[in-house]
Amino acid sequence: MQRLFDRFKYNGLFVKIFIIMVVSILSVSVITTWTTINTSERVFLQTFSITNSKVVEQIKSNMDAFNYAIVLASNNMMSSGSIRGFLTEGDGDSLSRARIYYNIGQQIKRIHSGLDAYDVNVLVTGVNGRSFATTDRSVWPITDNALGDHPITVRTLAEPRKLHYQYDDASTSGNKDIAPTIVASRALLDRTENRVYGAVYFPIREREFKRFYETFTSRGNDVAVMNGEGMILSSNRSEWIGQPSPELLRVAKNVEESTLPYVEEEFMEKSQVILSTYMPSLDLYIVNVIDKEIAIGQLTDTDAILLTVMLIVAAAVIIVFIISRRLTKSLTRLVKQIATISKYEFDHEVTVGGSYETRQLAQAFNAMLGELQDYVKRLLETQKGQRNAELEALQQQINPHFLYNTLASVKFMVQQGSKEKAAETINALISLLQNSIGNVSATISLSQELVNLRNYVFINHVRYGDRIKMSYFVSPDCMGCHVPKLIIQPFIENAFFHGFNRKNEGNIYFMAAKEGDSLVCEVADNGDGFDMRDADESGLPARRTSNRQLFAGIGVRNVHDRIKLLYGEPYGITIDSAPGEGTKVKIRLPLLE
Amino acid sequence: MKKMLGLLLACSLVLGACGTNNNADTGTEGGNNAGGEGGKASKITIWAWDPNFNIKAMNIAKEVYATENPDVEVEVIENAQADIIQKLNTGLSSGTTKGLPNIVLIEDYRAQSFLQAYPDMFHPLTGSFKPEEFAEYKLGPTSSNGQNYGLPFDSGVTGLYVRTDYLEQAGYTAQDMQDITWDQYIEIGKAVKEKTGKDMLSLDPNDLGIIRVMAQSAGSWYLKEDGKTADLAGNAAVKEAFETYKKMMDANIVKIHSDWSQFVANYNSGAAASVPTGNWFTPSITAAADQAGKWAIVPLPKLTNNSASVHASNLGGSSWYVLNVDGKETAADFLGKTFGSNVDMYQKLVTDIGAIGTYKPASEGEAYKAANEFFGGQNIVQDFAKWTAEIPNVNYGMHTYAIEDILVVEMQNYLNGKDIDAVLADAQKQADSQIK
Repeated sequence: MQRLFDRFKYNGLFVKIFIIMVVSILSVSVITTWTTINTSERVFLQTFSITNSKVVEQIKSNMDAFNYAIVLASNNMMSSGSIRGFLTEGDGDSLSRARIYYNIGQQIKRIHSGLDAYDVNVLVTGVNGRSFATTDRSVWPITDNALGDHPITVRTLAEPRKLHYQYDDASTSGNKDIAPTIVASRALLDRTENRVYGAVYFPIREREFKRFYETFTSRGNDVAVMNGEGMILSSNRSEWIGQPSPELLRVAKNVEESTLPYVEEEFMEKSQVILSTYMPSLDLYIVNVIDKEIAIGQLTDTDAILLTVMLIVAAAVIIVFIISRRLTKSLTRLVKQIATISKYEFDHEVTVGGSYETRQLAQAFNAMLGELQDYVKRLLETQKGQRNAELEALQQQINPHFLYNTLASVKFMVQQGSKEKAAETINALISLLQNSIGNVSATISLSQELVNLRNYVFINHVRYGDRIKMSYFVSPDCMGCHVPKLIIQPFIENAFFHGFNRKNEGNIYFMAAKEGDSLVCEVADNGDGFDMRDADESGLPARRTSNRQLFAGIGVRNVHDRIKLLYGEPYGITIDSAPGEGTKVKIRLPLLE
Repeated sequence: MKKMLGLLLACSLVLGACGTNNNADTGTEGGNNAGGEGGKASKITIWAWDPNFNIKAMNIAKEVYATENPDVEVEVIENAQADIIQKLNTGLSSGTTKGLPNIVLIEDYRAQSFLQAYPDMFHPLTGSFKPEEFAEYKLGPTSSNGQNYGLPFDSGVTGLYVRTDYLEQAGYTAQDMQDITWDQYIEIGKAVKEKTGKDMLSLDPNDLGIIRVMAQSAGSWYLKEDGKTADLAGNAAVKEAFETYKKMMDANIVKIHSDWSQFVANYNSGAAASVPTGNWFTPSITAAADQAGKWAIVPLPKLTNNSASVHASNLGGSSWYVLNVDGKETAADFLGKTFGSNVDMYQKLVTDIGAIGTYKPASEGEAYKAANEFFGGQNIVQDFAKWTAEIPNVNYGMHTYAIEDILVVEMQNYLNGKDIDAVLADAQKQADSQIK
């Protein structure tokens, strides 16, 4: 969990950039796709409506031509006196009948030839019960008997001045041989007497009628021809043929009234674009019904578009992922390095790499780090120098009390007449002062230091008596080794003045020997000792000052710090002590020749 | 970087859109290509006319064939005969067989005009059936250059359907009608008209079928033996047929009809007393169930003054032809296994439709021997079969209907008083100039 959070923390930039890019890509592609599809749908609908208006016009003109041929034929029929005679006169003998049937046959054949372009039959019936049909009523096999009270006849005679287009099929007329047929019918009217003397029928099979528009139709682009009562006479959709459709009639009337090129309506439970035109002379509506879903489905393959867009988006996301990953990775690495550097490795430089910006940043950071290290180094140097100076200053100061006490003791010796002893003491003091003040070098040989120690101990013995014995055990090969000036004296001083507060007498031992490549000096006493629990964490006694010391201010800790400062980590002071057992101070120094 | 991405995205969208447009286009093209190409061996199409007769017969054949060959789809399409002729002529003369059926029904009168005009467009059926098993008179019209092209279907053998009840009212019986001449027929007709007020027969002035029937009964035809030369002037049989026709008109015993529907209606309504016509008229007669037992079928009258004339002739009749299109082998197999050899199927044709074929072995079947109760127990199939054997064989040639069109006009002239020899001479002249 923590790791995950860390990852997120370091990759925060990448995550943000990536999310923003992905969201942008997605929204751009969604909006573009949606707009494209939408626009193309709209353009398509407009184009479609224009072309289909033309199509409807074309159908209309086809049907007008057909209608005109029918009108001409029926007019010829009506203007023919012999046909009127045939349909009105009584039965003559066989011969005259044969003649008139023959003549009528010729006339009707001539009239029919005007309709040759269409697969239309001609059927005339007269008030005298005679009828004449071409090609054995092959289109509309209806018998004369059935025709008499057929709804088509009834309607034709009811409105004798009008040319009717009506629909008939097996179920409408009850004759199973009748295929869906459209019958144009007209009453034959004697205009002078205003008397109906017959009727003429022009049946055409629905499948032939369909040819007026069939070539314009396709799946989802349907045409229906509907009469003024909403009965669909013909359609390329076979299930519509012969069906009354008040719904479609209403829509068709809407289109007609609105003068819109098309309307979009819910029809047959589908969203449809409907174009319509009305032909008043035929009382027929030509309705073009376009299934929006199918028509547009043909235009835009939504699945393919979606798939393409998805592929592109996926590719773009992968590219964005890789690029932003590369962009941010170097930055992230830099950030990570910087973070660890500030915690642990101040002297390590960050790796320079990645993009230009990152490289510059890393270089700047490295330069800054370098300067910082430089500065810190210099600061350390300065501090070291300062401490050295401080120590040296301290080392060179001699406690005035020590001087005063020693000189006072010498005065007593002189007054008591022990000149010898006084001279010795003065000599020791001189030698001591000479070594500590006169000698300018920082280190002195152990043998010289031993001289100093002896002088110091001598003076102390002179002043305080020799109840505390001092012994030296120095390995001869160490005599030439150099030690920092006055480094051992403070420990002996400590032993003299603090080691024997309760005990009245004891011994102090100074030992020096080589141990590997270091020099170990040891100051041990069998005095009071102290509890190590009073010591601080480094094992050294807490700093104490006493004006009875020879050199003021130089505590054990100072010495330890100084050795470390001068020679490094492996060197320094260790103290071991127990109450009543005495104290053991070990000074470890490098071998300096 | 972002710009580039954007460009890439836009390009891909455009490309994608183009891609889908292409898809849509190919989709519609595919739709247009569907249909057509009906010539696969797994499907054969058949064109015929007359749903009550030819179509029904073909549907029976289709069922029979389907029991043995269920994987072959047979589609029977009804078209008017005129349409079939028009479509065949259009298709065959343009040399393209696209949209044409595998099997087509052609009237025997027209067969030669197709076979000779488009010799390569028909698939020979020689070997698909045994010609000797079919009525001989059918083989001439259906063959060309020694090859059998048509599989003979219905017999056009004629008989005289008579209303026995009207005859009885006029003092005749069906027995009196056996083996009479046309003159005798007219006399009886006059009596019937007098007694019952009904016309003896119904004719269409635009269709000279009865002239053809009379001519063939005397072994004569509109054309000479070669099938190409008109044989009108001086053709005794045609001349007597014309005279007989006029006699009928003059005797005022003819009811006139203008089409098939009226023709049938005239008999079903009882308006006419007899029908000299092909046996295929039987279903139309029996359609009027109320006239059961009132009809008989007697031999066709013969020409009074022509010694060659017999009491048998032919009217109509057609045969099945296989077009030279893909699937012709399947089509030939179909015909050979049904109309070409299946005796049982012919029994079914007789029982279900009343269609009498010209397949001789079929007459041995039960259905051919059954009595017909509608015709008062007369064994009409046997009778027709008997007359079939007597039909004189003539060559219908290539121009039967072209000459008939001329004769229809000349007949009117004749009826209007023109001399018969002049009528036929004029017709001969016109025919000579038209058909050469």
